[in-house]
Amino acid sequence: MTLRPTALRNLSLLLRHYPRRSYGSSTSVNPSEISHFDKLASSWWDPHGSSRLLHQMNPLRHDFISSCLDSQPDPPSTAKRRYLDVGCGGGIFAESAARLPSTESVVALDPSSEVITVAQEHARKDPLLLQPGRLEYRNYSVEDLSHPQSPKDKFDVLTLFEVIEHINKPGPFLHSCLPFVKPGGWLVLSTIARTWTSWFTTKFIAEEVVRLVPRGTHDWEKYVNEEELRRFFRGLEGWGSDGGVRCQGVVFVPGLGWRVVDGGEKLGNYFFGVRKDGGRS
Amino acid sequence: MAVGTPSRALRPYTCSSCARSLKLRSRKFATAASPDIYDVVCVGGGPTGLSLLTALRSSKATSHLRLALVESQDLDRARKWDLPPDQYSNRASSLTPSSQFFLSKIGAWPHVDTSRVQPYHHMRVWDGLSSTARIAFDSPAPEPAIAHMTENQNLTRALLARLESLEPITIFDKTSVANINLGSQPSSPASEDTSLDLSSYPHVTLSSDHTVATRLLVGADGINGPVRTFAGIRTRGWDYDRHGVVATLRLPSDFSHDPGNSRGVTAYQRFLPTGPIALLALPGSYASLVWTATSTQAAKLKSLSTEDFLAMVNAAFRLSVVDLDYMFALSSGQFDELQWRESVSSSTSKEASGDIPQAVEGVQNNSIASFPLRLRHASSYTTHRTALVGDAAHTIHPLAGQGLNMGLGDSRSLASAIEYAVIHGADIGNEMNCLDKYNSEMWMGNNRMLGAVDKLHWLYSVKNGPVIPLRGLGLRAVDALGEWGVKRWVMRQAGAL
Repeated sequence: MTLRPTALRNLSLLLRHYPRRSYGSSTSVNPSEISHFDKLASSWWDPHGSSRLLHQMNPLRHDFISSCLDSQPDPPSTAKRRYLDVGCGGGIFAESAARLPSTESVVALDPSSEVITVAQEHARKDPLLLQPGRLEYRNYSVEDLSHPQSPKDKFDVLTLFEVIEHINKPGPFLHSCLPFVKPGGWLVLSTIARTWTSWFTTKFIAEEVVRLVPRGTHDWEKYVNEEELRRFFRGLEGWGSDGGVRCQGVVFVPGLGWRVVDGGEKLGNYFFGVRKDGGRS
Repeated sequence: MAVGTPSRALRPYTCSSCARSLKLRSRKFATAASPDIYDVVCVGGGPTGLSLLTALRSSKATSHLRLALVESQDLDRARKWDLPPDQYSNRASSLTPSSQFFLSKIGAWPHVDTSRVQPYHHMRVWDGLSSTARIAFDSPAPEPAIAHMTENQNLTRALLARLESLEPITIFDKTSVANINLGSQPSSPASEDTSLDLSSYPHVTLSSDHTVATRLLVGADGINGPVRTFAGIRTRGWDYDRHGVVATLRLPSDFSHDPGNSRGVTAYQRFLPTGPIALLALPGSYASLVWTATSTQAAKLKSLSTEDFLAMVNAAFRLSVVDLDYMFALSSGQFDELQWRESVSSSTSKEASGDIPQAVEGVQNNSIASFPLRLRHASSYTTHRTALVGDAAHTIHPLAGQGLNMGLGDSRSLASAIEYAVIHGADIGNEMNCLDKYNSEMWMGNNRMLGAVDKLHWLYSVKNGPVIPLRGLGLRAVDALGEWGVKRWVMRQAGAL
């Protein structure tokens, strides 16, 4: 109950910028966030570096996407899938998605040129990823990407993993992602709920006590709660009908790794998926 | 070819030997620039390596991977292995139910010639120094057998047959590893070049001069194989100053392991101060011997006449340790010695009750062999793009018969880690999200097994002092607590259940 006031305050924060649709370049992206991730770039693929938790979480991202695709009333198309990974960082998810036999192509965006260089450098280590059209990195923010002209240029899965908590104006940012999703396709994200637990674990323990991640990686004020996302998509025409909204909480257990925990979205990390209405053609 | 051109152009200006070395260098460069790239290269085509490759090929998620096997022996010999029904290989293993389950799951078990496999439902284990301390394990039919005695070559042939019934893999047999190196560093940074960077991939150069690069290199190449050396993984362990003496023996011809036999089929193991002696049933009236002896004793056993050798085996299951030592000291005539001792104190009643094995009557020609016993455990089973399985990862005292079972366990675990990685888009050569899963699943368990078997060895090598009644008490206690599930726990630890 004590959480409610903060949740409401930040819901208004989420909605405050919503009508203002000012899509200049990098409206959503905080320049200080970019420079922070520029500094992180070199350690992105260090298995014992600060991105270790993201590496460990990555298989669960695939499990969540599979659970979304499997939940559809109409059977998922057997055609190979196209992914748009927004805020791809060093390419942890983008690489793994591009390796799946069920993937046609992955386009991965990040506004930091440093991390895109790291991502491109790393992709050279895998002959599969160098196959033409399989994995393409672009040093863009999503607002700068031109809207797809025809449905076939749209994507089956648009992913925003650990991105919206680094965004100044999540509302307009999500709006600028929507046109890229195919009818029947999914927008899938993961983020951290703004709770006392998440402040304690991500700000205090992870950044101050254990120094698992560099200080300043997280801005707790920008965390977004699951009910705020639900409310946001409920207000959108053409999204999330027929059970097309899914959520799954995950908890990091030291010594065991990430574990799926129902109700975990009330504590901290969670996945959220919403389906664009309409069938797959 | 771009690299070849300068040397041709230079020819008028270079001496012939320099031109040759230039040409040689250009050829090396050419192979390094475009090696054959595989997902998994497995060095070593024994049961462990073959079961890993078969598991990967028979799983839907991993069946598309590019696989290669490097084996120094001629695999045709393994494919065409065939012995008449009255001959058995002296290298046989007790396959535990979990090993058998894995072999069935990957489709290999139906290819095993089961007429050459002997399940057993009973086990008798006793202490050579404290004769009342014994333990009986019983799993009477229709309960699953404690284990299945299977010749290693029967299993190898079955795995090859199963593997070759699936989508073909690349096989380099009669081929050894010349060297293993990492690929060369890319010449330019990413910003200028988008070419493939194989600097983290092991490049295996074969004795045929062919080079293969691989995402994941698996060492199933034994205790001192080239893969562990390449990976720089250290082992710890020691030699036991013991030899395992093996032989294929024949029991009385009227004897039968027939399951209808009220005694059922029993495996026997007696702990002598040098180590255990075990007699494990093979089909018909045959049995497999594994005797842990000192190197002097092993040499002695191999030098004896057939008659005297058989007398020593029978004595080892019957006589006191002092008497057995006396018989080892005789230069010959063990047969007569045993006959005389048996006439003084007969053990026929014990034989009839099934507490000790029937006296063996014959030994198969050329089946007596011995090998040194060691304990080795790799400090880790994995590094980046490398994994060790089977004897390359751990070498164990054979007293629990767990060597092959541990190897098959490694293959099962590594194959499932690779499967998980493929389903989740991970690079199967990476430790995180792939190889770490295998290492953390198997290393601790194997370490516990190695430690327990090692401690059993030292416990039973003590000849006198307070430890003997204590260990006898231990065996009796375990036996007496059978009703309380303690024995089942011990059997499960030995992989017998």
